[in-house]
Amino acid sequence: MADEKPTPAPAETRFVNAMRLSARQWLAVAAIVMLVLSVTPWLWKKIERFDTGADYRIPYAISKDYWLYERRLDRLAPTDIAMIGDSVIWGEYVRPDGTLSHFLGEQSGQPGKFVNAGVNGLFPLAFEGLVGDYASAIRNRKLIVHLNLLWMSSPKADLSTSKEERFNHADLVAQFGPRIPCYKADFNHRLSVTVERHFTFMQWANHLQIAYFGQKNILAWTLDDEGASPPELPNAYKNPLQQITLTVPPEPAADPERGPASPRHKPWSTTGEGTTRFEWVAPDLSLQWAAFQRLVKLLQSRGNDVLVVVGPFNEHSMSAENRPAFRRLRDGAAEWLTQNRIAHVIPEPLPSALYADASHPLTEGYRMLAARLIRDATFQKWMTAR
Amino acid sequence: MLFHTWTFLLFLAVVLPVLFALRKTRMWIPWLLIASYTFYGWWKPYWLILVFYSTLLDFILVALMDHCPRERQKFNWRERLTRLRFDDGLMKIAFIATVVGTVVSLGMAFAGPQTLRPTMAMASLILLLMAVGAFSCNRRTWLVVSIVNNFAILVFFKYASFFTENINTLLASCHVAVRLPEPSTLMPFGAKYVLPVGISFFTFQSLSYTIDFYRGLIPRERNFLRFATFVAFFPQLMAGPIERAAHMLPQFFRFPKIRLQNFTDGLSLFLVGLFKKLALANYLSLYVERVYDSPRNFEAPELLAATFAFAWQIFFDFSGYTDMARGIAKVMGFDLMLNFNNPYMATGLGEFWGRWHISLSTWFRDYVYIPLGGNRRGALLTYRNLFITFFISGIWHGAAWTFVIWGLLHAAGILITRELERSAFYRNRVPRLVKQLAVFTFVCFAWIFFRAGSLADATLIISRIFTGAWHTPQVPVFMLLLVAAIWLYQFAFESHCKKFLETGVVRIGLAALMIIYLCIFTTEGGAFIYFQF
Repeated sequence: MADEKPTPAPAETRFVNAMRLSARQWLAVAAIVMLVLSVTPWLWKKIERFDTGADYRIPYAISKDYWLYERRLDRLAPTDIAMIGDSVIWGEYVRPDGTLSHFLGEQSGQPGKFVNAGVNGLFPLAFEGLVGDYASAIRNRKLIVHLNLLWMSSPKADLSTSKEERFNHADLVAQFGPRIPCYKADFNHRLSVTVERHFTFMQWANHLQIAYFGQKNILAWTLDDEGASPPELPNAYKNPLQQITLTVPPEPAADPERGPASPRHKPWSTTGEGTTRFEWVAPDLSLQWAAFQRLVKLLQSRGNDVLVVVGPFNEHSMSAENRPAFRRLRDGAAEWLTQNRIAHVIPEPLPSALYADASHPLTEGYRMLAARLIRDATFQKWMTAR
Repeated sequence: MLFHTWTFLLFLAVVLPVLFALRKTRMWIPWLLIASYTFYGWWKPYWLILVFYSTLLDFILVALMDHCPRERQKFNWRERLTRLRFDDGLMKIAFIATVVGTVVSLGMAFAGPQTLRPTMAMASLILLLMAVGAFSCNRRTWLVVSIVNNFAILVFFKYASFFTENINTLLASCHVAVRLPEPSTLMPFGAKYVLPVGISFFTFQSLSYTIDFYRGLIPRERNFLRFATFVAFFPQLMAGPIERAAHMLPQFFRFPKIRLQNFTDGLSLFLVGLFKKLALANYLSLYVERVYDSPRNFEAPELLAATFAFAWQIFFDFSGYTDMARGIAKVMGFDLMLNFNNPYMATGLGEFWGRWHISLSTWFRDYVYIPLGGNRRGALLTYRNLFITFFISGIWHGAAWTFVIWGLLHAAGILITRELERSAFYRNRVPRLVKQLAVFTFVCFAWIFFRAGSLADATLIISRIFTGAWHTPQVPVFMLLLVAAIWLYQFAFESHCKKFLETGVVRIGLAALMIIYLCIFTTEGGAFIYFQF
């Protein structure tokens, strides 16, 4: 305020730092950045230990690490058969050695041949995005794809309601079409998700955050207070770089949430019969079914030899009058698969006591399901076909 | 729309090629205006009504002002009123139109739809003032109309709640039963009462045009589209810099020459701004919010660190915005004024205000401080003018007593450093670094009032900083190191190390580092702090 003369207009742009780069300098910056962005994810794959021993599955805590998922598929042996699907394939209530892929390998006498490529919480609409953007490594392979009709058990599960819903793996669904009415993310979020899905470096950066910083942005991690009162910042004096151990976190050795010792690992009902009335969504209206159809077509176009396993859904949990509608839906799916010459198996429902809920078997359920699949003629034919 | 979003990148990818394609036609100005209105209306399209109204009225007022003689002329008011005998035909039309408008709006204010009545009452006041301006053909009256109109918009949207609350409290304490109505009840058609983004910026910019024209500093702009583009120019519409017509309007006369340097300079500015916002301001805000939202839960070191962090957060946030704004404008061939010049390097509070939000401080200097008398009438009046100016500056930042105290503290700080600078000892013997640190400390202290949720919170924070415990400090080292590195860079830039920073290797290395850092560390950032002003 001291100087009373009006300030003259500056003759040209003033800089108050030394960051004024010439065209040549910008070219050099572009070259360096391009090099770093393209080399880092590739180099990281070489130096980061990723133990995918027997029955490996992407741990629940890092199930949104799609870059790691892609890397996992990259490491498949040529004769391995990937099993893709939601938590039924992943094994929501069971340990890694209690999953369908484990028992298929064990009972077929080829341990490790069936690879658990399930992702917890995945549904067909997200599945489509996962396979489209992160699963190019499984081209021209034999694949077992699981169809869980639970995703059509209500308009809400089908994501076809107009009320806004928050759901898992939202970053995998189609951002700009086909439209998902309950997905109300703003335009900018959709755009940034789309960019991230096509930009490997950002996927890798996301991997860093998920695998080493508890799914947090690295900067936010330094201020993580774990909800303590009075607030504490346990990471305030930690070096973020020390968090990067260069080893992908494995499945916890003793997971209290899963396995026969877990309190969750128990039959869904004591009586074995339920009265649930699902509001099944008609196939021609179902977004999830349409997504599944597109997914299978995509896999076929990529040269995959696909076997679809439908269910087995826990029919015991339904009321008697609800079952015909379910069966019509299931048979309709089978008909479409037949029409499109896609190998498929519809296993008989397991005994009621072998289900943990409406769609997830318990360990013994998976064992029985594997045995049934191996005995199934379609499965055998598909396995032996080249 | 925010600069640091993919949406904006897409917007720019459409706007720039079309703008360059239209450069040899007359259509580039309408295109720039459409782009600016799209940018502003992206969130709430109905806010555009306000921008358009403010722009249109100031354009008309200056046009009418231009028809009035500079020197006051005598006229027979009785004859003018009874026989409508005007020297200027336009004034006659304006008089008739505004009188009719006043009557109609008054009628609607009393008998129109309920939700329109307050708006119509205000409109009738503006139209009545305009009728007086047309009747007397007086330039000053037109200026008053512009000032009243712009301040009415600003006061209603920004301060009405504050004033209503305080006046109602006062009335209640005096046991008076009358209460002022809630401002939200005065909105037309039951529209939501929300502070439009950047209202203080575009009203000030538009107002500066009428004042400068009144003072004879600039010619009248005859092209409405050009004037509207000047007011709504999208890079600086939401948070400045508050440009002056003398600097900005001539740049819209013909399409600027675009050289390669426009792109390299623009990109350089944009990158620095983006880094400040996404990598620094957003990170610091996480800590500041946590501490300042519940200061009772924290002890002295955290409160101290959060205050320090806020000082840098607001600098990075606001200067980051203006850097990006300048960068975008530069790419299109336009020069926006420098708004921040490493303010925490200042050795005095006066100098601080010459480096901090320069466009606002020069606005207040030219339109408030100097008209009040500036420093021409002795020390006492100078300080009075200073306090009045900073009181208004405080209020400009927000409708709360904390902002007023913040402004007055700065006035006091300027007074103190100004007096200190009179002594040879302070001027010559006190090291520059000590002065810089003292100014920074004072500014940080004042920021407590600026950031605190209430006066009670501010006093609590201050008392805890000075008397609180230092048991287990929860201060993120990484954050402090990051800020320290930037501060060090600024010290180096203002020292003989500047040449080293200007070497190609350092520039290239830092730019590459910033881009890579942004790719790894950034989160989806929120809006800019200064949008609320």
